[in-house]
Amino acid sequence: MGYGGIDMKTCSEKKRFGVLALAVSGALAQMSAHAEDLDVKALTTPTNFVELGAANVSQTSAKFGEYNGLNKDAVYGIGNFSVQGGGAHDGSDGTRQWQVKGRDIGLTSREFGATIGDQGQWNLGIGYDELQHNLTNTYQTPQQGSMGGNNFTLPANFGAINSATGQPSARTLNANQLGAFHTEEVSTTRKNTSFNAGYIFNPQWSTKFEYNHLDQSGAKLIGTGAQGGINLTGGSSGRGEANNILMNPTNYTTDTYNLAFNWVGDKGSLTASYFASVFRDANNSLNWQNNLETGASACVGVNCFQNNSMSTAPSNTFQQLNLIGNYAFSSSTKLSGGLSYGRNTQDASYGPTTIGQPNGTTANSMQAGGLPQSSLDGSVVTTHADLKLTNQTTKDLVLSAGFKYNERDNQTSSNTYKYYNLGGLAAGQAYTAVNTPYSNRKTQYDLAADYRLAKGQNLRLAYEYDDIKRWCDHNAVAGAECVASPSSRENKLGLTYRLKAGDSVSLTTGYTYSKLDGDFNNTYLSPIGNSPQAGINGKDVPGFVAYPYASRTQDIFKAGVTWQATEQLDLGLTGRYSHDKYDATLGVQNGKTTSINLDATYTYSENGSVSAYASWQNSDRNMQNQGSNTATQNWTDKLSQDDQAFGLSAKQGGLMGGKLELMGDVSYSFGKSGYSTQVPYTSGATLCSLSTQLTCGSTPDVKSTLTSLKLTGTYSIDKKSKVALIYLYQKLNSNDYYYNGYQYGYTPNRVMPSNEQAPNYNVNVIAVTYTYIF
Amino acid sequence: MKFLRHLFVWSVLLGLGCAGASLTLAAEPAKPMEAAKDLVLKGDAKCTGCHDESDEAKPTMLELHPSVLAIGKTPHGVRGDSRTPTCTDCHGDSDKHRTFRGSGDQPKTDRVFGKNTETPALERNQACLACHKGGERTHWEASQHANQDVACTSCHQVHTQNDKVRDKRTQPEVCFTCHKEQRVDSRKMSHHPILEGKVVCSDCHNSHGSAAPKLLKKNTLNETCFTCHAEKRGPFLWEHQPATEDCSNCHTSHGSNISPLLKSRAPFMCQECHDGPHASKSPVAGNAAGSQGGLTAVPSETVTGRACMNCHNMVHGSNSPAGAILTR
Repeated sequence: MGYGGIDMKTCSEKKRFGVLALAVSGALAQMSAHAEDLDVKALTTPTNFVELGAANVSQTSAKFGEYNGLNKDAVYGIGNFSVQGGGAHDGSDGTRQWQVKGRDIGLTSREFGATIGDQGQWNLGIGYDELQHNLTNTYQTPQQGSMGGNNFTLPANFGAINSATGQPSARTLNANQLGAFHTEEVSTTRKNTSFNAGYIFNPQWSTKFEYNHLDQSGAKLIGTGAQGGINLTGGSSGRGEANNILMNPTNYTTDTYNLAFNWVGDKGSLTASYFASVFRDANNSLNWQNNLETGASACVGVNCFQNNSMSTAPSNTFQQLNLIGNYAFSSSTKLSGGLSYGRNTQDASYGPTTIGQPNGTTANSMQAGGLPQSSLDGSVVTTHADLKLTNQTTKDLVLSAGFKYNERDNQTSSNTYKYYNLGGLAAGQAYTAVNTPYSNRKTQYDLAADYRLAKGQNLRLAYEYDDIKRWCDHNAVAGAECVASPSSRENKLGLTYRLKAGDSVSLTTGYTYSKLDGDFNNTYLSPIGNSPQAGINGKDVPGFVAYPYASRTQDIFKAGVTWQATEQLDLGLTGRYSHDKYDATLGVQNGKTTSINLDATYTYSENGSVSAYASWQNSDRNMQNQGSNTATQNWTDKLSQDDQAFGLSAKQGGLMGGKLELMGDVSYSFGKSGYSTQVPYTSGATLCSLSTQLTCGSTPDVKSTLTSLKLTGTYSIDKKSKVALIYLYQKLNSNDYYYNGYQYGYTPNRVMPSNEQAPNYNVNVIAVTYTYIF
Repeated sequence: MKFLRHLFVWSVLLGLGCAGASLTLAAEPAKPMEAAKDLVLKGDAKCTGCHDESDEAKPTMLELHPSVLAIGKTPHGVRGDSRTPTCTDCHGDSDKHRTFRGSGDQPKTDRVFGKNTETPALERNQACLACHKGGERTHWEASQHANQDVACTSCHQVHTQNDKVRDKRTQPEVCFTCHKEQRVDSRKMSHHPILEGKVVCSDCHNSHGSAAPKLLKKNTLNETCFTCHAEKRGPFLWEHQPATEDCSNCHTSHGSNISPLLKSRAPFMCQECHDGPHASKSPVAGNAAGSQGGLTAVPSETVTGRACMNCHNMVHGSNSPAGAILTR
């Protein structure tokens, strides 16, 4: 007689035993049945574990530890756990279950969670998730001020730098100035705390609430241009557009709320929800000092500096009501849809426009009477609607029709702002600008037919029409067009064929053609209104169209095949090709992307498998621009990108009597991007290829190569515990000309060096962990 | 004594060698095992109790499919929840499979969810959607995955405590099974922490269906991005129209060679939309690499490093009254 429906195995021979042996055998049989009972319990009861260990990292690298918290040459604690309980899985009729779990406890990527509830009735959960994004550990600056702060000053004795053309510049810092540079490890940290709760009133009605509090700190690097034309004591004036790379504080909080009520019926469902996101920036300005001057100066101390200020991200709020639902008219006809209404507001006070200077004067970034209000009082209304109807028209044919509508209606008022450009405080840099609140509306219709040609063969034909409208409701410059492309329409047609040939082969192939027609208004005023920088076509040369607004055609081909060659061997091959062609005399002309992917998995035994993949990507984009207002002076630029990724992984378990499992993972990825510019004309008497110009030819390639090897050995001491030894080797080689202009001695005249370096590392990690399972 | 000791040892060994042996005794019968107990729900025994004890040729369910019982570790195995499905709720009544007593291949269950199944995806999905209605699955019908015959079990594992796709650390590898381009992108120099398990596919996408493009969770791409990047939401006093309209005009979210997740780099990227004001008309090539790239003149900040963005840093929009050209 079995128990639990599981029959006992019988020996093929009946054994006769002596009395003692019989007693022993009887006891053993009881033990065996009990053991099998335990086996069943082990299979049906959740497993808990606690894992503790340590990892040693051989090298300090912000890039290696970009997201994983292992950015230092140090020993780290490893801690992971998951423990759960309650009566839900103990074979009784209980529904209570709880769980606490944690991951990467010892690292800046740590996360915790705890849940409790009665399944089918209610649940509560809390969570904490941390992520430190390590950006660089090579950045240097003479500016004093902590990372995360918004005020930076130069050391009082830093002195001026005359960055006038032909004069010594930031490239030739003196010993005192060089000594003021210090390294800052720049990172931005996110700490996310969450709470959620759910309650099921009855089989039809339920509710769910989620709250997230995201706390961000730290900074990201940003380029800054200093205000020019500020007189400095001792002669000369501050250099306009002079650059200092600063740590822009990310001192943010974002509180997100989501409350939903759900109804589920036999034929349909409905969810009504409220969503709110409240973003707060602790700062409304970033302030710093600049010491780059237009000429020689007799300034002393802080009188060599000018104070500058720029805005930071404004605090804002978004609230939205949502309704989504579906309904089955019959088993063959179904409808789904949704509605949303949202409001996004922003009324943060503008940052300071009157900036006190070290020499006691003030510099105003606004002209007299040029500030119409002290905050934006911005408001954007978003609306969304969607509807989709599907119908199984015949046994082999499914039809669908859909509609989507999205509108962003910017209801912010438009005003005139009179300010001074970075170039200086003289009349020549006095600009008048008009803000033109931008709105758009996207409407989409789609029709599709999915037809079963035969068993395992499907053909799908899909058509989509998109219409975009763009406008500014409010424009203080009455009657002026504020968008380059007030409308565009796109027609897209796609055909996909799917084949399942027997048990082992699946094939998918498809082609999509789309044509976008964009209306272009070259009399539009760029959003800076009637400033000297404005003009028809946004002061771009006639015939130039920005690529998002240009008419274009697009062809996309896709194909994929998977083949189970044998019981052990699976193969897969996929590819994609897309080609865009733009209808613009000037601007982006065309682009194409190709990708091929190959996968193979070989399961050679119950405990062993090997898998490999290889991927290639290639893309390029071509554009043609005009170097002057003369149509004969057109130049072209090509962006080429090549990427490859290879991986090989193997797993072998069941070694040493089933106690040892080995895993290995090797991967290699390579990325390369480069630009190539052709200038077929001569500008004046100057050849573009001269070393004093280099405005034609190729940029050095932006390259990176990442090699990674991971070996893991896990040994089960017994059923309840195991130890693991992990070795990880990772090497990154990267070259990027981007950093050249920030190196000491190599900067442009108006740029303070920052020593930012292309990341390279060669890291070994050894980790040992012990896991207790219960 | 020595003889009895030896006899005892051999008896123990023989008894162990016939683990679970039933005994032929002239004396009392073997103690009956626990009364039949269904695993996991009432009625499941007809499936999990496969093969009666007289059928020695075939292994038991425990031996053949031990993972079947692992459903007991999951929400699908909570007996006290009246919604919990039985084996046949998902796999069908499967009478032919269950009552088969022949010698050939056993007929499969009515619905087979494993590899190489002949059960159409639509039919497999009906088993899941019968209970998992609404919510995230509201837009499943005619969604991209539904149109491609992707079944729930193509991504989800039911008979296991840890469903890989629901764990941030292992979710990407499930998605990469089909989405190979994203597998390459996630390994590029600039990437969201996808492989690190911090920002994963389901943080932006709703694979069960959505009203947004590319199965994004919110109504539009920008709305999805603002979930984590609310500092870019504005509205700003001075808007950068292509950024306000669509983040993907400049960014590519899965990974890029050009930081931060850019499709191209300044000044070239800016020149795809600007050909006139300030330095946007000027061709750029090796001069972007400065002196180290062979330039013998003084390098220019309009083309080196951040290029345009050395000054025009507020590319997402500016809230400074003096920031009309996105420099403050």
